[in-house]
Amino acid sequence: MASAETTAEPTRRRKDGADEAAGRGGAWFPGWYWPSFALPGTLWLLVLFVLPFYTVLSVAFGTVEPLFRSPLPVYQPWWWSFDTFSETMQKFYAGDAVYQQPLIRTFAYVILASSICLVLGYAVAYYTARHAGRYRVLILVALVSPFWISYLMRIYAWQSLLASDGYVNDIWSIFAAPTNWLSGRPVTVILGLVYGYIPFMILPLFGSLDRINQSMLEAGRDLGASPARTFWRVTLPLSKPAILAGLVIVSLPMFGDYYTNDLLGTQRTSMLGNLIANSVFQSGQGPEAGSLTVVLMVIVVVPMLYYLRETKRAAESL
Amino acid sequence: MAGRHPMDSSSRRWSRRQFLTRAAGGAIAVPSMAAVLAACDKPGTTPPSGNGTDTGEIPLARPDSPVELPLNGDAIATDTPIEEGATLQVYNWDAYMYKKVLQAFEDEYGVSIEWTTFNNMEEGIQKVVSGQVQPDVFFPTTDYISRLVQGAESGPLIQPLNHELIPNLQANVWPSFSDPGPFYDRGARYTVPYTIYTTGVAYRRDRISDADAEAQGYEMLWNPEHTGEIAYYDSYRDALGMALIRNGGTDPNTGDPAEITAAKDAILEIVNELEGSLRINGTYAKLPEGEFTVSQAWSGDIVGAKYYLPKGTSEDVLGFWYPEGERGLIANDTIAIPQGAKNPRLAHEFLNFFLDEKWGYTNFADWNGYQPPFTSIVPASLIDDKVVAPTLNRAVVTEEMFTTALIQSQLTPEVDKLWLDAWSAIQAGG
Repeated sequence: MASAETTAEPTRRRKDGADEAAGRGGAWFPGWYWPSFALPGTLWLLVLFVLPFYTVLSVAFGTVEPLFRSPLPVYQPWWWSFDTFSETMQKFYAGDAVYQQPLIRTFAYVILASSICLVLGYAVAYYTARHAGRYRVLILVALVSPFWISYLMRIYAWQSLLASDGYVNDIWSIFAAPTNWLSGRPVTVILGLVYGYIPFMILPLFGSLDRINQSMLEAGRDLGASPARTFWRVTLPLSKPAILAGLVIVSLPMFGDYYTNDLLGTQRTSMLGNLIANSVFQSGQGPEAGSLTVVLMVIVVVPMLYYLRETKRAAESL
Repeated sequence: MAGRHPMDSSSRRWSRRQFLTRAAGGAIAVPSMAAVLAACDKPGTTPPSGNGTDTGEIPLARPDSPVELPLNGDAIATDTPIEEGATLQVYNWDAYMYKKVLQAFEDEYGVSIEWTTFNNMEEGIQKVVSGQVQPDVFFPTTDYISRLVQGAESGPLIQPLNHELIPNLQANVWPSFSDPGPFYDRGARYTVPYTIYTTGVAYRRDRISDADAEAQGYEMLWNPEHTGEIAYYDSYRDALGMALIRNGGTDPNTGDPAEITAAKDAILEIVNELEGSLRINGTYAKLPEGEFTVSQAWSGDIVGAKYYLPKGTSEDVLGFWYPEGERGLIANDTIAIPQGAKNPRLAHEFLNFFLDEKWGYTNFADWNGYQPPFTSIVPASLIDDKVVAPTLNRAVVTEEMFTTALIQSQLTPEVDKLWLDAWSAIQAGG
């Protein structure tokens, strides 16, 4: 969003500074001064993203130690071997295509869970921003409060709630035959994903809806639009960047999520993340785990690029 | 039993193989500095040389073709003094040893024990190979012994034992594990046995009668009547191994792709049609709690399961089926001393201590549930002494069983890949 501005900024400042130093006096900064502000971020990115990702590539295109079959990363690209990678790719479409189902599942679950997050999250954010009045702080605190308890603990709580003799079944069995919720039911996993990620949807939406200028809405009503039409034509378009941001924030980690299914599902509902986790823990499967990570990376880059393009466009149109 | 039993806590995860991978951070060993520095050569092309000790190609050990492992160095001398005030580094599965016995060892030798755990064998091996963990005592499974003797690029990983320092091995342990020694390590040159166990089927006797269990055997796990109430281990060798035998196979180390595929399909049937669950704690925790009716079970798991029964539930609800004769799986775990051990003499004492009749028995009977191969243990008396419930009499392991039952052992890399690919397909849910 603002990245274009911030990169433009130092150059302009520096020029001003140089001018000032040359003529009218005032503070002068050496050429490296403003760019150096980017150093911590750059280092962060290098050490915690670029380097690890390069290691993942080196594992994916590397080999295994012959005796113990532990992964041996190959750091020199000219020695990279793509055998394991192409073998892994084939598991998505050739022969038994054992990885095809998890891939389809991953997409279906993430799309469904993100959509549910959006619908529910929008309603909550809208109410909090516009109608909660003096309770809004309370609601926000309540939304954030689950984070005080670790996700793992909360999912363990769900495990016992959803167990065959748990409270959920006690209530459910009033209406229907008791269900074994934890035996690989897509609905359990999808709702688990929604549960885990929905706060990340609500918070940006709330921030955006809260900032919408009231007079815009009044103008809409003044010009004769019904409340529904005002929402549709004014509120919704104005909150579009937040919707996109929320969708990106929740769906990207969902694509790589494995613990939700690990704890609430079985192999019947396994996702791409489970395949990676599983191959990481098996001997000799290191390169396969790396290859799957590369696949996942490519998958999440697509929505990310779309998001960047949209926000850039939105920034330009302002 | 006054006070709280140490096992009676949710943090107690004492099963032989802890696959609680979900809580673990990650297992791809971050490439060690050595690996990075060694990257001048293309990795994986230099054969493991083992410190100049050429151990050569060691044939795959099988019960009918035992292997005497070549010596990769000298055992420590008998007159080596015991390291005083040392901290003994023990690297083991989580809670696979009774704390009170460890305490007794510390008291007797005036040392302290530092306890480090791994979640599964692959993780344990990787960390020992990469040097991330440098233990004095390590607990490898039998299929890794010969590889540990050969070692990685940095040299051999376990050291020969000095039997004079482990008198309890000859004195207390079944001859098949001491003299002539087990098939994977004839002469017990590098390892001593720790526990022995069979893999059978555990069931709830309040839901399945003994007669039905006897009639169905392995098929209990594939019985649609128990849909949603079936647990199965999530360890690839054990899981596929039992499915192979159930399908009529006789070689638990088979390399026949058709057999492996059929075993894979059988497990997928449990996962998909029978809504079963692949997990580590099915037998020792969730079956006694009532969540499952039937589960794949290591004998030690079901013997220890009594500690997980809800208050007021009788031990009688636990049942264990294991085939008579030649269609059952049997195995043992071992203790070894790594090459890099800083306290090798004390480590020998540690091995000897756990082969002591009294302490080894206490470890088994009061905590672990996994039986040590001691000549002093009379199978029938285990039931009289209430170590093993009468309904679990088939969970008692005898020396004869090792001569007839099936043993899983090391696979060639090619065959191992078939097994791992089948396992990947299971993890993908088919």
